[in-house]
Amino acid sequence: MKKIKFIYLLAAFATLQGCTSDLELVSEDSKVLTSAELYATPAGYKQALAGVYGNLSLTGTGDAGSSFLQGIDAGTSQFGRCMWYLQDLTTDEVIWTYENDEGVAELQRNNWTAANPILLGMFSRTMAEVAFANDFLKQSTPALLSSRGITATADVAEINSYRNEVRVLRAFAYYNLMDLFGKAPFVTENDPIDFKGPQYDRQQLFTFIEKELNEVIPNLKAARTNEYGRLDKAMAQMILAKMYLNAQVYIGTPKYAECMAKCADVIAGGYVLKTNYLDNFKADNHTSSEMIFTLQSDGVKTQNYGASTIIINGQVGSIEANGAEFGVGGFGGALRIRKQLVEKFDGSQFATDVRKTYTAGSRSIDIAEPTNAAQGYILHKFSNKTSAGVAGVNSTFVDTDFPLFRLADAYLMYAEAQMRKDGATNANTANTASAQSLTYINALRQRANNGSAVANVTQSQVNLDFIIDERARELHWEGHRRQDLIRFNKYGGGNYNWAWKGNIANGTSFGTNLNVFPLPSASIAANPNLTQNSGY
Amino acid sequence: MKTIYKKLLILVLLLPFSVLAQNTVSGTVVDKVSGQPLPGVNVNVQGTAKGVSTGFDGNYQLNDVKRGDKIVFSYIGYKNSVIEYVAQKPLNVLLQEDANQLKEVVVQVGYGTVKKKDATGAVTVLSTKDFNKGANVTAENLLNGRVAGVTVNTSGAPGSGSQIRIRGGSSLFASNDPLIVIDGLPIENTAGTGSTSFLASLNPSTIESITVLKDASATAIYGSRASNGVIIITTKKGSKNLAVDYNFQYGSGELVKTTDVFDAAGFRAIIANKRPADVSKLGTANTDWQKAIYRKTDFVDNNLSLRGNLFNAIPSRLTIGNTYQEGLRLTNTFNRNTIGLALNPTLFKDHLKLKLNANYANENNRFADGVEGSAIRFDPTQPIYSAGSIYGGFFEYYNAGNGKLTSQTPRNPVAQLLQTFDKGTSNRFFGNFELDYKLHFFPAIRAVVNAGFDQANGERTRNASRFAASSGSNNDIPYGTNEFSKSERKNKLLDAYLVYNRTMGGLVFDATAGYSYQKWDSYNFASGNTNDPNLPGGLTGFPRTNVDYDRVNIGFFGRTNLNWNDKYLLTLSFRRDGSSRFDKANRWANFPAAAFAWKIKEDLLPNSTTVSDLKLRLGYGITGQQEVGNNNDYLQQYNLGSGSSQYVFGTLAVPIAVSARLSSGLKWEETITYNAGLDFGLYNNRVTGSLEVFYKDSKDLLADVATADGSNFSNFSYQNIGNLTTKGIEFSISTDAVRTQDVTWNLNFNTTAFARKITKLNSQLIAVGDNIAGTGTRGQVQQVGFAPFSFLLYKQLYDASGKPVEGAYEDSNKDGVINASDKYVYRNPDPKAVFGFASTLNYKNLDFSFNLRASLGNRVFNAVNASRAQYNLLTTGGTVGNIPTSVLDTDFVNTSSVVLSDLFVENASFLRMDNITLGYTFPKWLEGKASLRLFAGMQNVFVISDYSGLDPEIANNGVDNTIYPRQRSILGGVNVKF
Repeated sequence: MKKIKFIYLLAAFATLQGCTSDLELVSEDSKVLTSAELYATPAGYKQALAGVYGNLSLTGTGDAGSSFLQGIDAGTSQFGRCMWYLQDLTTDEVIWTYENDEGVAELQRNNWTAANPILLGMFSRTMAEVAFANDFLKQSTPALLSSRGITATADVAEINSYRNEVRVLRAFAYYNLMDLFGKAPFVTENDPIDFKGPQYDRQQLFTFIEKELNEVIPNLKAARTNEYGRLDKAMAQMILAKMYLNAQVYIGTPKYAECMAKCADVIAGGYVLKTNYLDNFKADNHTSSEMIFTLQSDGVKTQNYGASTIIINGQVGSIEANGAEFGVGGFGGALRIRKQLVEKFDGSQFATDVRKTYTAGSRSIDIAEPTNAAQGYILHKFSNKTSAGVAGVNSTFVDTDFPLFRLADAYLMYAEAQMRKDGATNANTANTASAQSLTYINALRQRANNGSAVANVTQSQVNLDFIIDERARELHWEGHRRQDLIRFNKYGGGNYNWAWKGNIANGTSFGTNLNVFPLPSASIAANPNLTQNSGY
Repeated sequence: MKTIYKKLLILVLLLPFSVLAQNTVSGTVVDKVSGQPLPGVNVNVQGTAKGVSTGFDGNYQLNDVKRGDKIVFSYIGYKNSVIEYVAQKPLNVLLQEDANQLKEVVVQVGYGTVKKKDATGAVTVLSTKDFNKGANVTAENLLNGRVAGVTVNTSGAPGSGSQIRIRGGSSLFASNDPLIVIDGLPIENTAGTGSTSFLASLNPSTIESITVLKDASATAIYGSRASNGVIIITTKKGSKNLAVDYNFQYGSGELVKTTDVFDAAGFRAIIANKRPADVSKLGTANTDWQKAIYRKTDFVDNNLSLRGNLFNAIPSRLTIGNTYQEGLRLTNTFNRNTIGLALNPTLFKDHLKLKLNANYANENNRFADGVEGSAIRFDPTQPIYSAGSIYGGFFEYYNAGNGKLTSQTPRNPVAQLLQTFDKGTSNRFFGNFELDYKLHFFPAIRAVVNAGFDQANGERTRNASRFAASSGSNNDIPYGTNEFSKSERKNKLLDAYLVYNRTMGGLVFDATAGYSYQKWDSYNFASGNTNDPNLPGGLTGFPRTNVDYDRVNIGFFGRTNLNWNDKYLLTLSFRRDGSSRFDKANRWANFPAAAFAWKIKEDLLPNSTTVSDLKLRLGYGITGQQEVGNNNDYLQQYNLGSGSSQYVFGTLAVPIAVSARLSSGLKWEETITYNAGLDFGLYNNRVTGSLEVFYKDSKDLLADVATADGSNFSNFSYQNIGNLTTKGIEFSISTDAVRTQDVTWNLNFNTTAFARKITKLNSQLIAVGDNIAGTGTRGQVQQVGFAPFSFLLYKQLYDASGKPVEGAYEDSNKDGVINASDKYVYRNPDPKAVFGFASTLNYKNLDFSFNLRASLGNRVFNAVNASRAQYNLLTTGGTVGNIPTSVLDTDFVNTSSVVLSDLFVENASFLRMDNITLGYTFPKWLEGKASLRLFAGMQNVFVISDYSGLDPEIANNGVDNTIYPRQRSILGGVNVKF
């Protein structure tokens, strides 16, 4: 009978276990938090803020191979790297050896399709930035703050300034989509999860970003007063300046005066050109007085296969095996430069120009075969060594931040906007540079020549053709080239050719429809509000 | 269901033990041989609904019986006895065991058993005599090739797990692994830390039978986890008779084949021809690197099984086993110690049956890295050892001046194996305790409670010195490896159910209703490589403990079997399952099933002597699938960045906090299965077989697919999208071709043909598959209208002589541009048909058996050739590297221009002989006290295939990116029985 009782006991136990509340989950891991747990303290808000900023550098919460995104390699979807691929690899500046890395060959040969994974990486990564920003805005409303017991005036004010910065980051995301894809699904903090955002075209995005940035700028910290890693007024002004400079392309209306004003605001922010040009591309470049905003990379704390890690490892030549020069192991010769970038430095005036960092060695200037790592010159611009020559701790993941916006760019943008405002057009590249513009241009020239005025220019030497070339000399491999070429009508539809442009060794022109990238087919399939760009 | 259950419980508690009443006929029913009373015997008046059952003492009373009534006494396993009532007082009956019925195969159907002849679903049962012979280290290999519709693909690594597929699998992204149930305990199908596979801890020699449930009418009782079929493993029970069984087996294995690459002489020639400038980089040695990384292996298997009646009351079994198997890779070993205990006492005259199964397994494994890639790549003119090398005396590419390794060069694969110490141990305890109680006062009802438990604790240590070039390195200087990890996984189960049996005239009826609760919890710890100078520390860095979300499954289930006149059988089952993986709205789902069987023989061919058995079965059922993603995908959870995923504010690094993607509306995958089967027996069942046709429609497939950008925290989320259908046909036949005094020859054949097709997806196509070469180079796709994992490649163009033209692809969309839009779907890895054949021949004391498997029409993408056989790869990192000789056929130069060519999709149809064994038995050894069997055989005897790679059996969704080769071994052993 004892046994029988035991059965009843077990059966009763079973009924108790039937308590279906066991189906509710509770986290037992200190690294996984609910929203209530994360946002219980101001420190939690700062971690969430780090998440919104971090998405521009990191790809996931695990190691460098982890990703918030799926269906695409983690590194291939890093924000800076995708941006760099789209803005630079599709132009005359650079070529990637390993064409079996999916999507790369199509980009550098200008025959991409909507299925290209790097386009997916860029689009989805940038829209994820929107989602992270929206979530932060949702979680940081005054009502939620007070309900979570965060009431100290200083804490509330600080979280409020996070909110303003997050709005800039969201605007920056939409700015990139407007530039690269010409459209984007529009989602704000008021929309629910899995909301299929309506499609915004360039005009709608332009209007939104402009309004949003102008609204928050007064509440942002003054230039150079925020802590490292966080943006300030100058970042927002720089985005506006870029939009105004390209307004003719984006919305068909020139806004050069507005661009000049924003550049002037940025320049007035107190930035100073770094004496040594190349210090802007070294392991301690985040301390440069010239940086407006950088994409972080750190060999220990912020490991990612992002732009700076790829560029520096990629710079290492297949023949030269010169990783030690940059403090990295290298990828065995992934990146070389195309002939047309080399030619930007032709002439005696560039004899002592420190921006001319390429070496030829035994290499041919022509690239007969993109996959031949021995063809084409290699570049030495970026490095994982500090300005003092100390190599970063990690030979794969560099300490070097990617310079997103820096003062030199603002100088050249100012000059260009001024010249265009004063009558220069793509068709008519008149010499219209003002004294102020010449001062900015020559500041860069002098810095590039170790303080010597030997390569300074005069008004008669400066027209729009000069500006586009000077931008290439100053800013190559910094993610600006495609946007610049389009503005100068030298990209789609233009007659400026470069090696392998349009998938021909000597280059051939391609249609203006390529001036915007196609929306990724996966993104269109998931959101029926989106329509494909024409020509794809 | 819960309330009903409670009411039943109260009923059970309150019912008096017996009710006595006046009677006209009474008596006792006993076993004819033993004289023991038989409880639960059905006593009916023929042609009426009147009937009772005998009590625990074999007594019965039946009222209102008229003289001349025919009283039928029926009992499972016994011949019916029909007695005319002529006022006997008492009417005592002797029932005789029905030999035919007793030897009848019993099929496990989940929470119960049925006789094979009464089975209504597509089920196959294999018992010890049907198992594959030879070196079968893990349980699934016992049935490989023996069951129609089941494929098992085992890796070459010793003790490794297998890809098991029943009818192809019914998911795209969720698991396609069948549910595996050991003695009533569903187990998790991933390997824990330190273990080689989840079935490695089960000693195959303890297995009594393996039942495979294939269609939903059979599997639906397992509800939410049943869509891919269920494999029920039953271990051997204790027995009353003393029996000692000792098995010893030894095997010696070796490599069968290597990838064809240039040998030293050939390599010198090709370098001189293609890269004359690099001739100076060649060495003077002649090394076959692929042979150098492998060895001859030993396999030793010892098993001792003791069975007997413990304390003269408890039928028991104790099995002790040790399996030691060496892998082909130099340092790779699998060593398993197991103890299995089964106690099967019965109490109260068989009213209470207790079953205790306890299994303990201890694994001590040494793992070996996959160095096949570097062995293919390494320069054959370089030596393995190099005097004076600072890297342990091994030849490596490094700068003698500063010791820095040359980047982008391969590392010596022999050194990598020998210099890496990678040891895993796993201790696992699993088992169950079952109480099966037939109520004294109401013997038609049985109450069963089954409690299961499974806990695995594993550890793994990985060490390599800083003189191992293959260890982690910074700035090309290795810093060695020192990693430790451990994990604990627990799985607890409680099932309780009631079974009711009743016979009413021609209707035999049983019903089962119950409840199941199962909970998994686990955590793991990882130290990270403590030698790594850049190893992130801090809150979210290393060392690190990850605690997984618990997973809880709760189910209520019921089933009834109705048997009318032993001709018409109807099975209805129902399960309601709840899972912690889904949010409240979608947490519960119902899984009904129905099956009908008609014993045609009895109705239509009662007098046929040819056809001895003919049964038609029709089944329908809905099953579920929940194995996708994580345990918590529906909750908004914030993940904190690891030590290397921090963002720096000022000078302070902050681990980022980011919301994990949300899959809020997730629900179960549902598979509806239709199955029709015909079981036949010919010539007094000397020939038996089945024909099955099935159609599976999987709906709401859980897939990780694109979600509208910007609205979630990723571009993809788990969603219920798309449908997949599978249709197929299975045929199996078994015959005793020869059955004489001296010779018996049994032949078994089965074949399956099936086709899977994606019928709906919310996305145009989903690129899938391995990175074939380079980042993101995926050559497979999920696309509507095609089989899962179809190849998506460029169509290769050939010159007039039939030679492929490098980089020349067809403009399949005719838009004048060759780009990614020209890729087309070309074939898929699914076989068109698979075959299994087994032969067992006994001649007097000699036995001879072999088994064959074949697969037809399965395609493999030869990624070894696609990503390695190009001349541009003759150089790497400033040195030279070897490539497959298939390059001579293609003369391809650039990997990137050819890697996605359809040229590399090959027909990998094959015929393989898994095992051949010859044995001789001395039945009267030691003056008749024992029997002795000696045997010798061979494992992995041969493979016939046109596939140009190493082995046509590729588990990796048909992409061959180098494999751990399967060894061929010669076996010998003894089997002693007392």
